[in-house]
Amino acid sequence: MQFDGRASKIMVVDNDRTTLEMVQIRLDVAGFHPIAARTGRAALEVLETSRPDALILERNLPEMDALAFLRAMAALPGRPVPVLLVGRSLAAEDVRAGVELGVRDCLAKPFSGASVVERITRMLKRSTTQASPARPAVYINA
Amino acid sequence: MLSRKRASQSVPNMKPSFAPSVAMTLDVLAAEIELAGARCIYLDRLIGEVMEGLPELERERLLEGLHGVDLLAQHLTSLSAFARGLSLVVPEDVTAPVGEALSDVTLGALVERMTTGLGGDLDEVEAADAGDLDLF
Repeated sequence: MQFDGRASKIMVVDNDRTTLEMVQIRLDVAGFHPIAARTGRAALEVLETSRPDALILERNLPEMDALAFLRAMAALPGRPVPVLLVGRSLAAEDVRAGVELGVRDCLAKPFSGASVVERITRMLKRSTTQASPARPAVYINA
Repeated sequence: MLSRKRASQSVPNMKPSFAPSVAMTLDVLAAEIELAGARCIYLDRLIGEVMEGLPELERERLLEGLHGVDLLAQHLTSLSAFARGLSLVVPEDVTAPVGEALSDVTLGALVERMTTGLGGDLDEVEAADAGDLDLF
């Protein structure tokens, strides 16, 4: 069966309004259902009541950074959410730590709208075909 | 004769010494162009949806406009890719004073986003026109 991402809810957490709006539009046009949050705390409030199918997360969020956010999310009940980590400078150690907390792919900023849609589609395909991968694949600037 | 606006007119408090790296400036520019492209893609979809409910004759008229929007979206995404690519090859230590160029931007929200993206202080642009449209 062909993968159909149209039913997928994608949460985008980014304090940069340009990126947030651009990603929201591109996801919407591609048929996904974007949910936007500008802070980790706002995103966690949403996550308390519903779980998205995937998460696009900025590494350097103010107040609560991506890793702190992922730890807080892991403490919430619900199924694990695959995460696409984005940011201007993604350190290898952050990615390694992130993988333990659900990061399945990375994308350096600035990125094109097409690339983010392509990455999220690929990530969702992987997560639907591999319910629990023994060793998650992480692509860095691929 | 047209005259260029000076920094003191629309962004009175912007420090002339505000000089982020050219690489970062190109990154911010690339992101803004990408957003403009995304808005075009959204518009393209909306026009497509409107077209479906129109009679054949009017649909043909709109088709040309739709083609133009599609070209514009491609134009913008290509320019964004160019700026993004250029940012990767510009040495990080090369900086440029952007205050005056920012003062020529007439969309308040855009100035605010770009200033934040460039690591500038938002307080310095508080006096800029907050409106999103500057109709002459």
